[in-house]
Amino acid sequence: MKYFFKICCLCAMGMYLSQCTSTPKKLPIYGEREAVKKIINGLETVDTVYQTIPNFSFLNQDSILINSDSLKNKIYVADFFFTSCPSICPIMKSQMLRAYQKFKNNNEVKFLSHTIDPKHDSIAVLKKFSDKLGVNPKQWYFLYGDKNTVYNLAKNSYMSSTFEDRAAPGGIVHSGYFILVDKNKRIRGAYDGTNEEQVSQMIEDMQALLNEYQTK
Amino acid sequence: MRKNLVRFCFLATLIALLFNACVNEQSVKYTRYFTDGAQLYTNNCQNCHSSKGEGLAQLIPPLTDTVFLRKNRTQLACIVQYGLADSITIHNKIYHFKMPSNQNLAPIDLAKLLTFVTNSFGNQQGLYDIAEVENNLKNCR
Repeated sequence: MKYFFKICCLCAMGMYLSQCTSTPKKLPIYGEREAVKKIINGLETVDTVYQTIPNFSFLNQDSILINSDSLKNKIYVADFFFTSCPSICPIMKSQMLRAYQKFKNNNEVKFLSHTIDPKHDSIAVLKKFSDKLGVNPKQWYFLYGDKNTVYNLAKNSYMSSTFEDRAAPGGIVHSGYFILVDKNKRIRGAYDGTNEEQVSQMIEDMQALLNEYQTK
Repeated sequence: MRKNLVRFCFLATLIALLFNACVNEQSVKYTRYFTDGAQLYTNNCQNCHSSKGEGLAQLIPPLTDTVFLRKNRTQLACIVQYGLADSITIHNKIYHFKMPSNQNLAPIDLAKLLTFVTNSFGNQQGLYDIAEVENNLKNCR
C-alpha cells in the first residue's frame, strides 16, 4: 500500500513535469545528407541538402498519371503491396485504412500504395480493390508501374540505408513499412504497417508534421 | 426401509457423479479445443479476418454472420482447408476476392479452429468435433 502511494506520487510528478517541458514535436529527417557550400551575398555559408524521393510517374487506379507534381504541397504515406498477398497485406491495408479515415478529406494528405505485382494487379484489378476498400481515389492512389522501376524506387529511395538494419525476411520491399514523406519529399518516418501501435504513432506523427507547416 | 433409502441415495449420488464427470469431460474438451483454436486463428486467419473477426471493408468478409455460419456448418471445414475461388455472400454483401487454401491444417486443427470461430464473434454453436470435420471433408464441393 505504501509503495502504491509512492508510485502514484511519482507518476503524478512525472506527468506534471512532462507537461511543463513539452514543446511542439519535430520529426527527424531520415536518409543521406550532405553539406553544400553556397555563396550568398559574397559570404560562404554551409547548407545541408537532404535526400529526397526522386520524381516518378505512375498510373493510378483511374488511369490518371501521378507524379511529383500531383504531390506538390502534400504530405503522404507510401507503402508497397500486392492485392493477392495473403500474409501481411490485409493487415497493412486495414491499418492504412485507419490512418486514411483520420485524415479523410484533408487536402494536404495523400496515401500511395504501389503494387509490386503488376503482372496480376492490372489497373482494373487495382480499381476494383480500391472500390471494395471504399476509399476515395483522389486521396488514396493505387499505383501501377513497371516492376523494376517500382522495386528500384522502393529499394533506393524509400527504404534507404537508414532502414536496412530493420529488414524483414523476404527483402526490404516486402517488409510492410509505411513511409511518411513531407512536402519537400524528405523521409520523416518509417513504421511497421502490421503493428497497430506503430501505426497509431504514425497517425500522431502525421499530425505533428502538418503542424510544422502551420507554424511556418 | 431405511436401508433401502440409504442405498437409493448412494446410487443416485453415484449416477449424478458419473454424469457430471461425463459432462465435465465434454466441457474440458470444448475448452481445450477453443483455446488451441484461438492460437490457430491468430497464426492462420487473423491477418486477413482481423482479431475481432471483422474482415476488411468489402474485400475480406467478416466472421460475424452467425446465420451463414450456422447454415453452412457442414461446409466450413472445406472452405478453410481448400479456400474459396468463387464469390460468397455475407451479411447480404458479395465478396469476390479469393481466399487462399490452408492445406497445412490437419483435421484436428480444423476442429479446434472451427470450435473457436463458431463460438466467437457472436457465434455460439458449441463443440466442432474432429469426427464432424473428417465427415464433412469427404463431402467437399
